[in-house]
Amino acid sequence: MSLFLAFLLILSASGILIAKRPVYAALSFLGTLMLLAVHYLLLSAEFIAVMQILVYAGAILVLFIFVMMLFQDAYAEIHKAVAQSSKVLICFAASAFVVGVGFVLTRVSQIPTHFSAPLTEGFGQARALGKALYIDFFFPFEAVLLLFLVGIVGAVYIGKRTPEK
Amino acid sequence: MNLTLIGLLTPLLGFLGLMFSSKFIERKWAGRIASGTVLVSFVCFFTLWLNGTTGSFTYFDWIPLEQFKVGFTLNIDSLSLLMTLIITGVGYLIHVFSIGYMNHDEDFARYFACLNFFIFSMLTLVLAGNLVLLFVGWEGVGLASYLLIGFWYHRPAAAKAATKAFVVNRIGDLGLIIGILLTYKLFGTGDFNEINSQAKEMFAVGAPVITLLTFCYFIGAMGKSAQVPLHVWLPDAMEGPTPVSALIHAATMVTAGVYLIVRLSPVFQLAPITSYTIAIIGMITALGAAFAALSQTELKKVLAYSTTSQLGLMFLACGVGSYFCAMFHLMTHAFIKALLFLSAGNVIHMMNGATSMEKMGGLASKLPKTNKLFILGVLALSGIPPFAAFVSKDLLLDEVAHNGYHILYFCGMAVSFLTAFYLGRAYFLTFTGKSRLDEKISKVIHEAPSVMLVPIAVLGVFTVIGGFFGWFGGAHAPLQTFLGQTFDTHGIAFKWGHLTMRSILIAIAGFGLSWFVYKVKARDVDGVTLLRRAFFVDQIYDILIVKPLTFLSKIISFVLEPVFFEGTIRVLSGVVGGIGNLLQRAQSGQIRSYAAWMVIGATLLLGFLIF
Amino acid sequence: MSLSLLIILSFALFTIGLIGVLTKRNVLVFFLSIEMILNSANLLFIAFAREWGNMTGHVWVFFVLVLAAVEAAVGFAIVIHIFRSKRIVDIDQINLLKG
Repeated sequence: MSLFLAFLLILSASGILIAKRPVYAALSFLGTLMLLAVHYLLLSAEFIAVMQILVYAGAILVLFIFVMMLFQDAYAEIHKAVAQSSKVLICFAASAFVVGVGFVLTRVSQIPTHFSAPLTEGFGQARALGKALYIDFFFPFEAVLLLFLVGIVGAVYIGKRTPEK
Repeated sequence: MNLTLIGLLTPLLGFLGLMFSSKFIERKWAGRIASGTVLVSFVCFFTLWLNGTTGSFTYFDWIPLEQFKVGFTLNIDSLSLLMTLIITGVGYLIHVFSIGYMNHDEDFARYFACLNFFIFSMLTLVLAGNLVLLFVGWEGVGLASYLLIGFWYHRPAAAKAATKAFVVNRIGDLGLIIGILLTYKLFGTGDFNEINSQAKEMFAVGAPVITLLTFCYFIGAMGKSAQVPLHVWLPDAMEGPTPVSALIHAATMVTAGVYLIVRLSPVFQLAPITSYTIAIIGMITALGAAFAALSQTELKKVLAYSTTSQLGLMFLACGVGSYFCAMFHLMTHAFIKALLFLSAGNVIHMMNGATSMEKMGGLASKLPKTNKLFILGVLALSGIPPFAAFVSKDLLLDEVAHNGYHILYFCGMAVSFLTAFYLGRAYFLTFTGKSRLDEKISKVIHEAPSVMLVPIAVLGVFTVIGGFFGWFGGAHAPLQTFLGQTFDTHGIAFKWGHLTMRSILIAIAGFGLSWFVYKVKARDVDGVTLLRRAFFVDQIYDILIVKPLTFLSKIISFVLEPVFFEGTIRVLSGVVGGIGNLLQRAQSGQIRSYAAWMVIGATLLLGFLIF
Repeated sequence: MSLSLLIILSFALFTIGLIGVLTKRNVLVFFLSIEMILNSANLLFIAFAREWGNMTGHVWVFFVLVLAAVEAAVGFAIVIHIFRSKRIVDIDQINLLKG
């Protein structure tokens, strides 16, 4: 069952690479998000799973699709221009990374493979996360909120149409 | 004690005041202030002399180091008092003369500031109680000399002469510095009184280290006092204004070397080899310069070589151990040479700055008073009695013969003869005979104003009576007694004898010959090239020192510098630039390339963490 | 469901995202790939939170969600700005930083 889920996840993720049009890539990313949410549920992270669907699928992905709509068929013109980045460099970097990661993964089998720790009451629920955020991680939480605020203001400022002279 | 300080510092105040007010000070006030400060200084030292004050006064610790203790010590004794009186006395007269001489010059204030600075430095030199303070004055007068030789710096010749004087003096100064350091090593002090009292107890006569030490001093003295082979700067120094030549390059500064040797005479007495060398060098200088003076065509150059020659005689006196004679001749020479230079200055001033005797002649009728004063100086320096230099030179040569240096004595006689001859030549060519003046000048030329004549007249008085200080009274003559307080003058007395008669006859012969040749035969200004160029010493130095140096500089400038130094730098900068160009290509602006580089870096980090 | 499987899964997602970043010239897919990389990290956080029974991992996932939202907002603002002025969505053509 878990292997099947994993297979589906990788398949949908690879859709991003394979898709010919950005909308298809976005849709396969949506699938990936859903499957990830399933994984989170299975790992008793209920609140995060819900957040994943609400924030990612509901907000961010909608933003993506909105922008794609804005750009219309601009992506089709991409291949008229010659690629500027060095293909050799990119291939080398990607293969080096894959080899490195592959080497690391050969050692992963030595890790104990079952979740043995007993879970506390209410693990992964909104109450527990709320407690952690507001009590244990209060300062980082506020800092992230500030970051969020700055991000929004910045986005508005950048996106603002410059007045015609 | 305070008078000393006032006397020393007033010229400095004058210098500073004139420097800062040079932009707006009035012409006549600059001259008055400058002369006034020197007069105040003179009065101070005169009072000190009247009071008979002696002793050395330490005002403060200047360099308070354990191994190298130097105090700001001023030393008042008969030797330094005599020097200060000459410096401030003659200096005052020349300051006054300068008011007339420089009355058309733009840089009036700068001139007087430099002159005041010179007086201050020279006073520091002679009053200094230790070698280090003396060195301060020593360098100060060198600087003043440089500034004043190059006073008309827009003239290339003057600028060049100033540089030459400075560079040649550096050689001597190096010797003096080594001497000072060696003194501190040997005696542990630079105080003159301590050195002089300890020297005899610490070292035997002829000790090698003392010979070395005195040699170092002598090299310093040689540079300052223009002795062969460092004499080449003095004739060129005549590019400066004539009063400067009179004050610095005849009467005072150039005698600093003699003063140094006399000041350290107890040390020099321990070094017979050095003393003998000094005598020989002095004689070579005296004779060589006298010959060179024979063929000079410029009035001031005759006097310059004459100065060198007379300084040679003073060194000769020092060399044979007759320090009193050196000081006596220094004093009389200061009066006479100042007189001669200032009279020449009158002529040059009235000739609008022309110095060549080829353009003079027959000036006696145009400048009657100057003529009389100049002939007085000529007669006095030639050694005609009863004028000053007759006594001092005769005493000097007497002492040389007395101490058994017969060859040097005869050379001295030759110098005497030549002196009379070339001074006579200069006089007759300038003041008598046919006028060779330009018509323009000949119409307007007239006698100098009294501001210039009076100082010369005062010097003339001293030229007449200057010799009497060491004459009347024999062994107890005033000057003997006075200087006897500082060093041994025992047994030196002027007395008539066949040697005296001989020297008078020789002087008269020399003067008479010049009268015959240039007055009766009326020979024109001419001369042997060898003598006019002063034995080609300048040219020899040019070939031996300047040319190789220039050649070396050219090699460095055109070969070593561009190929080696600049080449290295070029290669280095090329390498850096090349690396920069290579690295610039990595800065492609491509986000995906950057990401690829980042991935490679992350992979490497991963590898580093694993292994 | 085992920890090693999740680790391998996370690495796989990361690699896919990375290859997307390196190969995709469309700026939107480029962003999607970055989101993928963020999600691979999230998966690992959740897995280890479960392994050790600790809520800290969840907190960090929450932060990453916020970060992703901010990044998307600012990134799209920039992209739209560029598109508006230059009509390009090809990141190879956006090379103002070229040295």
